Amino acid sequence: MLHSLHKFSLFMASKPQRLHQVAENNFQGSAKRVRTMATSTAIEPAMKDAFTGYAEYLNDLNDKRERVVKASRDITMNSKKVIFQVHRMSKFNKVEVLEKAEKDLAAVTDQYVSRLVKELQGTDFWKLRRAYSPGIQEYVEAATFCCFCKNGTLLELDEINKTLLPLNDPSLHPLQINVLDYLLGLADLTGELMRLAIGRISDGELEFAEKICKFVRDIYRELTLVAPLMDDNSDMKTKMDVMLQSVMKIENACFSVHVRGSEYIPLLGTDDPSSFLVGVPDIEL
Amino acid sequence: MHQKKRENGNLHINTMQYMKPAFRNVAPYCHVYSRSLNPDPLLLVSPFWRPETFRLSVPVSCFSSSMAEPQSSLEKQFDSFRVQLEQSGTLRGRIRSVVSEIESSTRLIYATLLLVHQSRPTPGLLEKAKSQVNVLKEQYKELSEVLGGSSGQYYRYHGDWKSETQTVVSMLTFMHWLETGSLLEHKEAEEKLGLGSDFGLDVEDYLIGVCFMSNELPRYVVNQVTAGNYDCPKKVLKFLTDLHAAFRMLNLRNDLLRKKFDGMKYDLRKVEEVYYDVKIRGLTPNGELIGDLEIKEPKDNRLL
Repeated sequence: MLHSLHKFSLFMASKPQRLHQVAENNFQGSAKRVRTMATSTAIEPAMKDAFTGYAEYLNDLNDKRERVVKASRDITMNSKKVIFQVHRMSKFNKVEVLEKAEKDLAAVTDQYVSRLVKELQGTDFWKLRRAYSPGIQEYVEAATFCCFCKNGTLLELDEINKTLLPLNDPSLHPLQINVLDYLLGLADLTGELMRLAIGRISDGELEFAEKICKFVRDIYRELTLVAPLMDDNSDMKTKMDVMLQSVMKIENACFSVHVRGSEYIPLLGTDDPSSFLVGVPDIEL
Repeated sequence: MHQKKRENGNLHINTMQYMKPAFRNVAPYCHVYSRSLNPDPLLLVSPFWRPETFRLSVPVSCFSSSMAEPQSSLEKQFDSFRVQLEQSGTLRGRIRSVVSEIESSTRLIYATLLLVHQSRPTPGLLEKAKSQVNVLKEQYKELSEVLGGSSGQYYRYHGDWKSETQTVVSMLTFMHWLETGSLLEHKEAEEKLGLGSDFGLDVEDYLIGVCFMSNELPRYVVNQVTAGNYDCPKKVLKFLTDLHAAFRMLNLRNDLLRKKFDGMKYDLRKVEEVYYDVKIRGLTPNGELIGDLEIKEPKDNRLL
């Protein structure tokens, strides 16, 4: 280290004039640099004006994106609450539980989904899709879940979109869920239905579980044809794999009930006609 | 149209059903079918094979068409989804083919522009590049027409032309700077490509393109000095310093634009170093040297 320092100082000493020039240029250069960076007035004016415009554009875009993400998060949280509410369903309180769930869902629509309407006008609907898609998927999941538990049918995309129409300002383009988000939400629905089916089986509601099984099979079947066509469908591929697992879990649970019927002890006081007491042979596999 | 697709579809499906009996395998198979760019050997068996079909997945209603019962509401909904998604898939295929043409044209322009590194810029070179840009303009027009009525879905398909457009912008801004020494603005870039309100130039694509252009400058400056153009470093330095300062006016989040902007300071530093090298050796614009080092006359162009 000392050796190189020594060499360096010799070098410096031998060319004093040149070094002085260098030092001066450097100093001037760095001083100028600092000034240019500190004050934007040194920038060529046309460039500065143009970039003021770009800065404004980016600020507006990012602020909007923030608002959409916040709304999406609120929608996700509250839709999840609706789903938990539906899971509280049992044989005895079905009607009340579903009523509350529907009310909660309507609240999510009015309070949170409405915030998206204003933000997603024009090209923003597709531009900001990554920001709001998770929220909308959860919302679709909750809505279809409630509908199935109440009516036994699939809530269709057109029907959901009809419920969103009143949210709008007549001067604005209505918010309509697109087919991709609907399908992604539907894929998550099967997971919740699996949980519901298992829960119903342990409650002794075997018929309901079988209804769920048939429903989920239908959805899976239809989705296998549609999923590969979706835009950048890597998400959907994973969901399809998970869905198959859910379908199989439900099928296995129904199988267990069917085969081990003699071992099943339904809740006391039940008069479920599908219970083990009705003509099941006394054979174990 | 729907009917016609069904007829083709039935023949396809019959072939497929013999090949792939396992139900559970249909899903991954469909996926491969729709994503593959290579002709599927099974397709060649069918007399109804057309080049576009290998972009399409399993044709419509292959299951319900074999059933006599009316479609349930569930099936109808999914049928309509299938039609919709097939249409958007076809559209995406057409977009991608135009974009690959855009990519070829861009490569040609880039090859032309690479010549600026070999000597001092000549007007002929820029003229050639400009004529190649006209080809690009036509192709963007075609792209805009392909997107056609779904212009509201510009951002749905934006990912398919995003990076190519960024490269195009970087080239246009570089050409403009070579000609005028100033920065091509977003609106001007849009006009050069014949883009407008229906199919525009995304501002972030433009800004990223400008960052790519700045990546070219250090190499350009080094080669210009070697070719004897000692005036170049000062001009480039002023330009790049201004550009960097202008970019600092933007509030960027942690995305690609931010990363590219961060890279710009290394470009700036390299240009500063070249400027410094030239300045301390007292090299003046017309090539004479003040000092005791020997140097050959720059107008010699022995480097060419």
